[in-house]
Amino acid sequence: MASTKEISRRLRSIKNTQKITKAMEMVAAAKMRKATESVLKTRTYANLSWMTVLNISNSSNANKYLHPLLAKREKVQKVAMILISSNRGLCGGFNSSVLSKAVKSIETHGNLPTDFIILGSKGLNAYSRYKHPVVAEFNKPDSVVSGADIRPVSKLVLDSYLNNEYDKVFVAYTDFVNVVKQVPRVKQLLPVEIDKEDDYLGVVGKDEKVGLTKEYVAKKEEKYLSSTGAPYIFTYEPGGEEILNQIIPRLLEVQLLQAVLESNASEHSARMMAMNQANKAASDLSQELQLLYNKARQASITSEIAEISAGASALAK
Amino acid sequence: MADKKTIKFEIATPERVVLKRQAYQVLVPTEEGEITVLPEHSPLISILKPGVIEAVLDDNSTEVMSVSGGFVEVLKSKIVILADSAERAEELDEEAVEEAKKKAQESKDRAESEDHVEFTEVAVKLERELARARAVKRWRSLRGPRGNK
Repeated sequence: MASTKEISRRLRSIKNTQKITKAMEMVAAAKMRKATESVLKTRTYANLSWMTVLNISNSSNANKYLHPLLAKREKVQKVAMILISSNRGLCGGFNSSVLSKAVKSIETHGNLPTDFIILGSKGLNAYSRYKHPVVAEFNKPDSVVSGADIRPVSKLVLDSYLNNEYDKVFVAYTDFVNVVKQVPRVKQLLPVEIDKEDDYLGVVGKDEKVGLTKEYVAKKEEKYLSSTGAPYIFTYEPGGEEILNQIIPRLLEVQLLQAVLESNASEHSARMMAMNQANKAASDLSQELQLLYNKARQASITSEIAEISAGASALAK
Repeated sequence: MADKKTIKFEIATPERVVLKRQAYQVLVPTEEGEITVLPEHSPLISILKPGVIEAVLDDNSTEVMSVSGGFVEVLKSKIVILADSAERAEELDEEAVEEAKKKAQESKDRAESEDHVEFTEVAVKLERELARARAVKRWRSLRGPRGNK
């Protein structure tokens, strides 16, 4: 049996670790509250605007009006993937699950050459583990995110898309469903098209809508549009080009912002859960060790007494 | 009145959902001028300019709101307003609005001579405050004759 000294040293170190994990859990909880609040605030707006974009895209298919950001390219040669991860580790499987989701979606959809644009420094794993080139790394603010933080990213993406550098742009992020459930998702930002694979459509957040399908959009359309049987064609005021030039980049920015907010909320809750588990594991371990320690202590006392009494009885003879 | 058609009216800003109700008609300030949307309006997308939105809701009350810009999407039985910011007139405090308006005007005058970027920012702010002030006035004038409810 290990000596009492050794056990008590281990016990102390575990208790110290537990203090740290406990502190991290509390910090993560505070950050999570803030992040959740902001994600819930903007979610309706983001979802409504995404529906608007999809509606526009749908109607542009119908009346053949094409905006460069809506047009589907004949040949897809190169793809950009915006990966939103965390800046720090110790958050369970948060980073690896969003990354592997991104990589898997690249593999299942033709294995096209993909450049990664990363937000959050942990995204560099895309290169170190999967050898996908990383073309840009942006700073990701940890809790409070505003449109201004996202603008450089959306500008880079829009510009390089319009320059034909990329033919498709995706964003990989983690959807915040609730504190214990976060779903990594890949969403197609550009071009905006309704006829893409189902798993690339999606309204963020709500559980039942994760995995939104074309049928869902079609149903909505039926509900709000074809009640009078009229064709689904938008009038644009002022001109179509002008308005789409303003609307689409802005709405895409909102999508990107929402993705970052969702990821932030997910990250902090993932970290909170991870730290909570570490905390529990530490208290289990320290309990076990305490027991061991007591046993060892008792054993040593018993053997000491036995020795003394043996010595005493030897003397008495 | 009972079988008069309504349209689903939803107005959201990045911060919150301002209002989600059934309405008989909605007056929206677009860049091309003010438009009134009735149920079964043909689908339309337009850009909002700072101003006042007036909606006649399904209980025949009139809701007055200020917006500072954004987009409006009209579908057959639904009107969605994606506003940069919006407030309901009854949430606005008239004195605070007047104060803010004055301040914005002052800083606009100051900025006019200096920085171009700052000037645009301030001008936008002023537009927003003006829209708020208009919304409050409109709301008061609507409320007045019906005897303060």
